Amino acid sequence: MSSIPIEKGLENSSPHQREQANYLTVDWSLKSWLTTGDHKRIGIMYLISISFFFLLGGISAGLIRYELTSPAGRVLESETYNKIFSAHGILMIFTFLVVAIPAVFGNFLLPLMIGARDLAFPRLNLMSWYLYMIGGTLILGGMINGGVDSGWTFYVPYSSMYANSNIALVIVGIFFGGFSSITTGINFIVTTHKMRAPGMTWFRLPLFVWAMYATSVVIILGTPVVAITLLLIVFERVFQLPIFSPELGGDPVLFQHLFWFYSHPAVYIMILPAFGIQSELIANFARKRIFGYHFVAFSTLAIAGLGFLVWGHHMFISSQSMYQGIVFSLISFLVAVPSAVKIFNWTATLYKGNIRLTSPMIYALSFIGLFTVGGLTGLFLGSLGTNVHLTNTYFIVAHFHYVMVGGSLTAFLGALHYWWPKMTGRLYSESLAKWNAVLVFVGFNLTFFPQFVMGWMGMPRRYHYYYFAPEYQPYHLMSTAGASVLALGLIIPGFYLLKSLANGPKASANPWGAHGLEWETASPPVTTNFEQTPIVMDEVYDFDPVLEHEQAQARKALEPTGYEGYEPGALAEPKKDESDLGGKS
Amino acid sequence: MAAIADAHGHGHDEALHHQFEDMDQQNEAYLVGMWTFLVTEVMFFGTLFIIYTLYRSMYQMDWYLAHEALNIPMGGVNTIILLISSFTVAVAVRSAQRRERNLVLWNLGITLVCAVGFLGIKSVEYMEKFQHNLYPGPEFGRHPEYLHGAAPNFAQLYYGLYFGMTGLHAVHVIVGIIVIAYLWVKWFLNAKNVTLDYVPTEMVGLYWHFVDLVWIFLFPLMYLMPKP
Amino acid sequence: MATTPLSKAAGHGGHHEVKFNHLFGNLLALMALMGITIWASYVNFGNSTINNLIALLIASVKACLVIWIFMGVKFATPLTRLWVAVGFIVFILMFGILGDYATRRFEPTAGWELNRPNGGGTALPREWPPAKRPEQGAENFRPRL
Repeated sequence: MSSIPIEKGLENSSPHQREQANYLTVDWSLKSWLTTGDHKRIGIMYLISISFFFLLGGISAGLIRYELTSPAGRVLESETYNKIFSAHGILMIFTFLVVAIPAVFGNFLLPLMIGARDLAFPRLNLMSWYLYMIGGTLILGGMINGGVDSGWTFYVPYSSMYANSNIALVIVGIFFGGFSSITTGINFIVTTHKMRAPGMTWFRLPLFVWAMYATSVVIILGTPVVAITLLLIVFERVFQLPIFSPELGGDPVLFQHLFWFYSHPAVYIMILPAFGIQSELIANFARKRIFGYHFVAFSTLAIAGLGFLVWGHHMFISSQSMYQGIVFSLISFLVAVPSAVKIFNWTATLYKGNIRLTSPMIYALSFIGLFTVGGLTGLFLGSLGTNVHLTNTYFIVAHFHYVMVGGSLTAFLGALHYWWPKMTGRLYSESLAKWNAVLVFVGFNLTFFPQFVMGWMGMPRRYHYYYFAPEYQPYHLMSTAGASVLALGLIIPGFYLLKSLANGPKASANPWGAHGLEWETASPPVTTNFEQTPIVMDEVYDFDPVLEHEQAQARKALEPTGYEGYEPGALAEPKKDESDLGGKS
Repeated sequence: MAAIADAHGHGHDEALHHQFEDMDQQNEAYLVGMWTFLVTEVMFFGTLFIIYTLYRSMYQMDWYLAHEALNIPMGGVNTIILLISSFTVAVAVRSAQRRERNLVLWNLGITLVCAVGFLGIKSVEYMEKFQHNLYPGPEFGRHPEYLHGAAPNFAQLYYGLYFGMTGLHAVHVIVGIIVIAYLWVKWFLNAKNVTLDYVPTEMVGLYWHFVDLVWIFLFPLMYLMPKP
Repeated sequence: MATTPLSKAAGHGGHHEVKFNHLFGNLLALMALMGITIWASYVNFGNSTINNLIALLIASVKACLVIWIFMGVKFATPLTRLWVAVGFIVFILMFGILGDYATRRFEPTAGWELNRPNGGGTALPREWPPAKRPEQGAENFRPRL
């Protein structure tokens, strides 16, 4: 997609003009950050905050994994163990996964990608960060002040009547976090509708914008439901309003319905942005227009829509009506269709592409594999019969970690590597990043694949001890070993990315040679994103197929095949002439 | 390829924010934003209405008996008050479009009075319920005559939802009072961002209409149950 | 920036003035409908479902009047109207939750009827037994916070 080349006027200008203030350097004071309306700064603030919460969630995951290396437990009391896995779930879901990609990359990229100066409501955007921080602080306060032991699902009546922990505080924190999501969602929807640059039609939007739009729709329709549902637990605990109390005739299953009415779509809030990133990475590193752009775009909307009709598949064993269970199972299988459309389209995009195996691309490729495994095991769980066997075992734990970590987190890392030069203007060590991407892939599979096996064998989830069945220990050991590798793979980027800030080489406006409006402004962009409003003339992902094909052929010819100098019948003879090597091209 | 000359659009209109090109774009963006927010509010209250529907279908007779303790005249007066306030807000928005400052101030003022009056009547109702031990909790139903023969447990469920729904509605009324008062002060001080641009007034108006909308459903559902 | 067809539909100048008489007439209609609601709730139609339907119908009409006239959707752009509609559509979709409770009674009962205090049915008690009234001074296990 071409537009007004922003840098064109600057090519012949003095170094001073090139070094004009970008959004990072325009003002250094803390106040200017805390009162900013700049979507890019808010994205960076979100990146720092979610990294903090992700670290806490990761530490609790590490504690869980360490605890489970012995069938009799290691260091934690059972009660503490419950609190730790609840903390892991709550922190990872409500303060990391739901927020991560929309709030960091959505905030940063959405206006850049559509050629706007900012989001539609900058102050609302800043408010959403403050709401998130208030929510995060309350959640953290609740955890420090004794913790929560109900799991992240807060099922009543345990959470409303019996649990003797800081549930009210944490729920109020989640409530704030929910409103932070809602304000972000409203902002994105209005921005996508109203702020597109001239010529940026709906079908010229990068697929990441489509994904953000679908995610925002899900956010604003789903989040209020869980907000009020969880708030009712607070009402029940604090104001004694019996809404779900079974002893008064209330219905705890209704809570589960309402909870999953949001929390299933919430899964799509976490994975749809990852799909968007995936489309960007695949198209830009296969250097081809994505295969079936319209299908990918509409499958995003289809997933968002169907996602609202399948909440009951979390409740197959909860005394839900079996007839409704059948319907939910059927619709759950239907969700597989648009998801598969995406997977096949990405794979088809790779076909005969001019593929560059950069570190974001390695993350993108591992996403395809991991998400496919996660998605297909979802079909096991969506079947009524196998679900009864597999629910509440490690199989389901492995399933959603394959989707959430293997999907969302991998995409998050891919996006971080892909847009890091744009966000900071610095290049990191690419070779280190490549090895790290492989390390994450290996560590992830080592962590969660054994969980499939032991879940299938019957290891229940959320159990502190398993001395009744020590045969699971090898799997737990493998899983913990993998978790260590995975942790390493998540810590290393912290070092080389931060190091790049200090002394990384300066990034050009478009270090990847990618297409997209965000690559046509400087790295890092100026505060108003573009110096002139761009006018979009070209289609999205508009790579020249002939040129790319020729490039790919040329590169292929240069690569050693191992058969250089081979002639039939002359196996033992050494190569005759070195100059023949390049002759093929 | 051509660039738009005045890319920043500053200086056309004092009420125009820097990220927009013109007032049309800004106004529609704000209205769509407000409506998407109201969508979230619909879902927010909608959840409570679903809980209500399920429980009422389960315990029709008990809920009918329990609801007899509610004060229909007070609820009716509150409905009238909210309808009037909705009307005055609509007139205020109309006046804001016509930039008739005095009319805006008067209409917003009446709306504020109505809102406070609504809360006053509501609190009288609440006090009555508290005195009759109709607030859920261990003391609930100490005066069984106010239960009108309903099973105390199911009546407690009813009052749980009654206080939950009307309470959340009251919270929205309080927020509305704060916002309208703020807007009133802005108009009073002739602040340019409201006098030159009717959209802030319209957005507050939309919010207040939504509060009215919730009550339009709450009133028949809570106060006017037919005998099953 | 992008003057989409949608924003053009807003009409230039940004706003339509509502006639005062429209607003006032709408208020009167709403008042009248409220009166009808109260009256209808006392009439015995033979089946309370009819009363419920009437009450909901009137409330919906009132809501539409408020949305259409007071909230100005009559003059709004198609984009705004889209978002007005979305909330209510998904809200109605949420009533799918009640499908669970509507279909439970049709479940087969074989195998579950033995020794069930609720007289059989399904694995879990689907009919709520008449709950006991909490005794005065009984230990209240509901936590304070």
